[in-house]
Amino acid sequence: MFYPIAGKMIPWFAIPATILFAAGMFVGFFIAPADYQQGEAYRIIFIHVPAAWMGMLLYVLMAFYAGIGWAFNARLSSMMASALAITGAMFTLISLVTGAFWGKPTWGTWWVWDARMTSTLILMFLYIGFISLQASIDDPRRADRAGAVLALVGVINIPIIYFSVQWWNTLHQGATIRLLQKPTIRGSMLAALLIMLAACWLYSVAVVLTRLRCIILEREQNASRFAEVGV
Amino acid sequence: MLRWIVWRDLMLAWRRRADMLSTVFFFVIVVSLFPLGIGPETQLLRTIAPGVVWVAALLASMLSLGRLFANDYQDGTLEQLLLTPQPLFLVVLGKTLAHWIVAEVPLVLVAPLVGVQFDLSRETLWILFASLLIGTPVLSLIGSVGAALTLGLRGGGVLISILVLPLYIPALIFGSGAVEASIMGATPAPHLYLLGAFAIVTLLFSPWAAASALRISLE
Amino acid sequence: MNWPDLSMGGYGFYIWGSYLFSLIAIVWELVSLSQRRRALTQHKEQSDSVPASVLRGSANETTS
Repeated sequence: MFYPIAGKMIPWFAIPATILFAAGMFVGFFIAPADYQQGEAYRIIFIHVPAAWMGMLLYVLMAFYAGIGWAFNARLSSMMASALAITGAMFTLISLVTGAFWGKPTWGTWWVWDARMTSTLILMFLYIGFISLQASIDDPRRADRAGAVLALVGVINIPIIYFSVQWWNTLHQGATIRLLQKPTIRGSMLAALLIMLAACWLYSVAVVLTRLRCIILEREQNASRFAEVGV
Repeated sequence: MLRWIVWRDLMLAWRRRADMLSTVFFFVIVVSLFPLGIGPETQLLRTIAPGVVWVAALLASMLSLGRLFANDYQDGTLEQLLLTPQPLFLVVLGKTLAHWIVAEVPLVLVAPLVGVQFDLSRETLWILFASLLIGTPVLSLIGSVGAALTLGLRGGGVLISILVLPLYIPALIFGSGAVEASIMGATPAPHLYLLGAFAIVTLLFSPWAAASALRISLE
Repeated sequence: MNWPDLSMGGYGFYIWGSYLFSLIAIVWELVSLSQRRRALTQHKEQSDSVPASVLRGSANETTS
């Protein structure tokens, strides 16, 4: 029953997403001025920061849906968690790569072990763990529940990991200067940032719902295949 | 009941003493690889020692985690244990404790010897010992969750590693941080306290999470 | 409104590089998702075209 409703909803998210992406890029490149310190290079934040936020947000959502699916034995909820994983991982990857592209011109190296980039890298590992675990389990119910345990353990650990990375970073601060200094935010920059964030959010909804429909179909087909054979 | 579980696991592990030794050998070999790969310059080695020893301990722990539940799973004992009236998390706690004694304590004892290779002072070696003593229970506890989740799966040891190594990172940071502080002459106390706090938090949620994971894996 | 200088003050490679990568990632996600859908709907059509009773019938023959 959810399947057709989701299907109708998707274009309502996909089309506004495309429009907002275009709008965000327009404001970011045509309206926002160059930064005083970083010149034009800072414009990468219009994709880097929304991607980073989406990466983190989607992980928490994934853990939430997985937990609900486990606690209430709600299959759709668990399937939603699985659908979220790849999109979240993708945004995290974009955040890492664009972060590197930002780092090279601003302080000279492609990778820097500052607290934020390192935490993002660890978030990527957590996504990879979740996706790998679910990929290794054939039985969908076991995969759902095992993923839930892993995601919940991950979510509890994220604040601890973030704190420990901050700790680690301030310890070794001596050699490095304060990195990824945010440019002084002007109104138009903030506007572009928020528009891009909204665009990413809408895009995520559209893509995740599409994937969710695929997962629903796949499970139905696997179930009916077993039924046909008389298993 | 807890004592019985621990005792039983220890007895079983004793019969397979070779496994215990192989974990220690792996640890020693991995630690020795780093100077071979990086160069024998003493100052450099002293700098990398905390990280190297700790990472080697993490990796050696990973190898032994597969055995935590697998043997009992294969001969059906695990399912029996699930049926006992005793709460499952106690069973898990017992097995984790046994794992720590068998797989981790040897590492803790050997670490100072290995630390000598890196020209660490006696005081630093003590801190190394203490950091591993406090930190290795974390490795066993979090590892038990990973082992329970991956029971019977094809991915094997690599899959457990992918799941568990990111979760070890706070322990790695605080543990190696303590040793590093000692090398630089600063006090390792804050690192050790944080490590201890992390260990306590882990102790509170891991057995319960691993027990849930076991039930999920065995259904 | 100011027309941006396309070389982005010399940072062009980094800025356009980032956006290009992001675009590639998004396109990859969309393409793989549509392939997944296509595979599923094809399979659905195939199994829908064979009436379920026929499939069940043949299964009964093999198990009895």
